Amino acid sequence: MEFESQDDFERDDFERELQQAFLRRPAPPSLKRKLMERRSRQNTERLHLRKVVWERLAACLVLAALVGGGFGWHQREERRKGEAARQQVFTALRITNRALNQLRAQLAEHDRDRQE
Amino acid sequence: MARDWKPDFEQLVDEHQSMVFSLALRMTGDRGLAEEIAQDVFLELDRHLGRIESPLHALYWLRRVAMSRSADALRRRKVRGMDLWVEMEDNHGAFVEQKSSPLGSRLEGLLTTLPEPQRAALVLRYQEDLTPEEIAATLEAPLATVKSNLQRGLKLLRAKAESNLKDYIRVATPELRSS
Repeated sequence: MEFESQDDFERDDFERELQQAFLRRPAPPSLKRKLMERRSRQNTERLHLRKVVWERLAACLVLAALVGGGFGWHQREERRKGEAARQQVFTALRITNRALNQLRAQLAEHDRDRQE
Repeated sequence: MARDWKPDFEQLVDEHQSMVFSLALRMTGDRGLAEEIAQDVFLELDRHLGRIESPLHALYWLRRVAMSRSADALRRRKVRGMDLWVEMEDNHGAFVEQKSSPLGSRLEGLLTTLPEPQRAALVLRYQEDLTPEEIAATLEAPLATVKSNLQRGLKLLRAKAESNLKDYIRVATPELRSS
């Protein structure tokens, strides 16, 4: 027979017998029950997996925050120490400057006394 | 419109489990495997439920995925048609006998001896009553290929029926011999 178009279908006895033989079979009664059990199990697993993923993500974020915070604190501490050292150097220079000025004044006074 | 339709998984299972199971059973010839395939198909439907737009879309989707999963299972098991028929007869003969005529069950058994593409085309044609155009869309195959598979499959099945089922044909359908 030719399968030219939908309208050309004229089924002979053999095809009618085929159609009769190929009626849909009822699914096993257990199919739906097993399917719903598997579905429920998969949903539980999916939820568990999602929970684990979120937990790991949260742990990673906390870790990143800790590392970032630690690094930031370390940077700030280094800057603070640097600033303190700079201030100490300035203080030392001021003291030295004052001492030199005093010394110069004393020398100048000493020179004046000798000339008199 | 169609978008207003809300798919209900359990209802879809109730409506289509027989169709999906029958397609898988006739493609594989193995009742246990068919049940497993049907479960896999519905679980996949569950994952894609949001994309199903209408009852007709669900039916089309289930048919396409059932055929595709059955073909995958056959490729995995690499079983030959005749073995499937023997398995079907040995394990499920009682069930077959209860549900269809002896000639019908023999024809069904012979179907499993056909090459897979021809079997797929014939199952969709005679179980689902699809046109060649619809079969081509379901199997995602060219229309000419589907028509060729239908013709060759039917011819081969007819020849096998004539040589294997002489007794049944003589008793049940004498006209079959002359066709």
